[in-house]
Amino acid sequence: MWSAAYGLIALAVVAFVVLYAAAHAPNFKTVNLADQLYNAKKRLANDLPSFPRTNIIDFATNVNVVRVRTVNVEASGGSFPVKFPISYKLSAREDNLLYELYLNVILCRPATLQGGAAATLYVVELRHSLSQLPWLEVYAAVPRNATQYYDLLYNDYTAWGRPPTVGLDPRVGADADAGFVDYVKAEWALVYYEAFDLSILYVAAPPSAPYILVVDYPLTIPLACPRR
Amino acid sequence: MIAFRDILIFAGLVALAAAVIASLFPMREGVSPVPACSDCAFKLTGGYWIRQYGNYAALYLGTREAARYGWAYVDGRPLGVGEAVGCDPMYVHVLNGLAYVSCNSNNSTLGRVLPTAAEGVDISAHPSRPGCTFTVDVMYNTSTTVRLEVYDENGRLIYSASGTPPVSFNFNASVAGTYRMHVYAPPLLDDWYTLYAKINIKASRNVAVYTSNSTEDLRPDIALKIIDITDYWKKGYDLVWVAPGPTYYRYGPPRSDAFADFILGWHCCYPCDRFFFVPHHVYLDEVWRLTFTPSGPVFTHIDDQIERESKYVYVDGKYVNARNGTYTGSDPTITVKFVSSDSKMNAEAVFTKVCSWS
Repeated sequence: MWSAAYGLIALAVVAFVVLYAAAHAPNFKTVNLADQLYNAKKRLANDLPSFPRTNIIDFATNVNVVRVRTVNVEASGGSFPVKFPISYKLSAREDNLLYELYLNVILCRPATLQGGAAATLYVVELRHSLSQLPWLEVYAAVPRNATQYYDLLYNDYTAWGRPPTVGLDPRVGADADAGFVDYVKAEWALVYYEAFDLSILYVAAPPSAPYILVVDYPLTIPLACPRR
Repeated sequence: MIAFRDILIFAGLVALAAAVIASLFPMREGVSPVPACSDCAFKLTGGYWIRQYGNYAALYLGTREAARYGWAYVDGRPLGVGEAVGCDPMYVHVLNGLAYVSCNSNNSTLGRVLPTAAEGVDISAHPSRPGCTFTVDVMYNTSTTVRLEVYDENGRLIYSASGTPPVSFNFNASVAGTYRMHVYAPPLLDDWYTLYAKINIKASRNVAVYTSNSTEDLRPDIALKIIDITDYWKKGYDLVWVAPGPTYYRYGPPRSDAFADFILGWHCCYPCDRFFFVPHHVYLDEVWRLTFTPSGPVFTHIDDQIERESKYVYVDGKYVNARNGTYTGSDPTITVKFVSSDSKMNAEAVFTKVCSWS
């Protein structure tokens, strides 16, 4: 009888020590920042075509918006308005990560490459919420047939009754999947200005390209420069 | 015989001894060290605190130093030298050797909210009646007054407005033309833009557009002559003599709110009328006036000649009675078609209102 009581007391002591040690040991939680960063960008990439397209005033006060510039272009069916995306404010929050990206086309200039070929130089302001600069890929969307490409946009315009957004409608990459444009690698440079905590992305794209794609994989962002 | 009871008693004694021995160590809680890593994230409970020194930050448990990092940021703010922060629980993210500490009950977050002050000028152009409406949105983080001025081709100031950003201006170009727009807020902003409010004419090959009289017989290359007289009304003329062929017509100005004004002269046959000494009615088989008004483009019959050929006039694909009538097209486009039994004289022109800027 007494020995059974001793046994129970001993069991209680063992349980206490185990529970105490478990409760007071440092608590390590697995945090996979790489996966979270990927998920944040993936979610933005999926939602990008549905973000609202606004003017500068709405753009300044909202987040997850695309600033567009509406310009009339010519197709064989006539002149029609097209929206060109020029700025983005993107934000996605994961458990341990806040991914924010601000992209803004400051200006475009005609440029001449070393070989004498003509190019359009895009100057893009890039701000990034993480202190690490993103490793980018930049592509230029070159139409196989410019007339055919703008006729395609014109068909979208008449079918939807609203101006299509270059590169974003109906989804990012649809132009290339349909075989209307080729995504060719563009030359680029990213310069960080510490005094302003600002990066400038310089891209040289073929003049025929209606837009460029800035890829922070898997987030693919079309940017255009309608004022040539 | 060893009973289960004896095993329990022995285990209990061992555990007691382990607890007593463990309590003798200076670290009162925890058996695992704080990971010394350059990229990792963990949650600490107990009396952890972090102090910033001149060239490193130290994480302490009680008085014992547990780890060192390059610099400590607490809730996004870098610690000053000598500053210390402690909390329970404490979330630590280490990235590139820098410690990002959060004392919120929420998990701490890596990455900061961007101070994205968007600034700039947005212009959008869209057709309105009778002309083009240009919307100018100005966004600047300033209380300086932004002024907007619009000049016409002759340099006359025709519109001005001002406001404090964010501000939206609406300029309505009620007459076709090219305008210069100045947006300025010294010393921040000083931009010039060109606004285009015009009628684009897309026509078949045998159509020519003039801005003054043309009396020549250019058949068979040219079947339809379009004479743009908008500019004469802008310059303030009371009366314009228009001659698509040798015969002149007198026109008074259109209604004052018209956007653009055209005279169309068509000849329906070739080589008819060539043997007159003076080909007195060339390009006069059908003479029409097309005026873009607030109610839409109005197509009005002026004159016609009887010809051997049968001839038809269509507006937007619909046959119209050539002899008398006024037809209103749809804004902002009207299609005019002249059809003859002499088919090489068939002519078509699409008039489209185009509002754009650069």
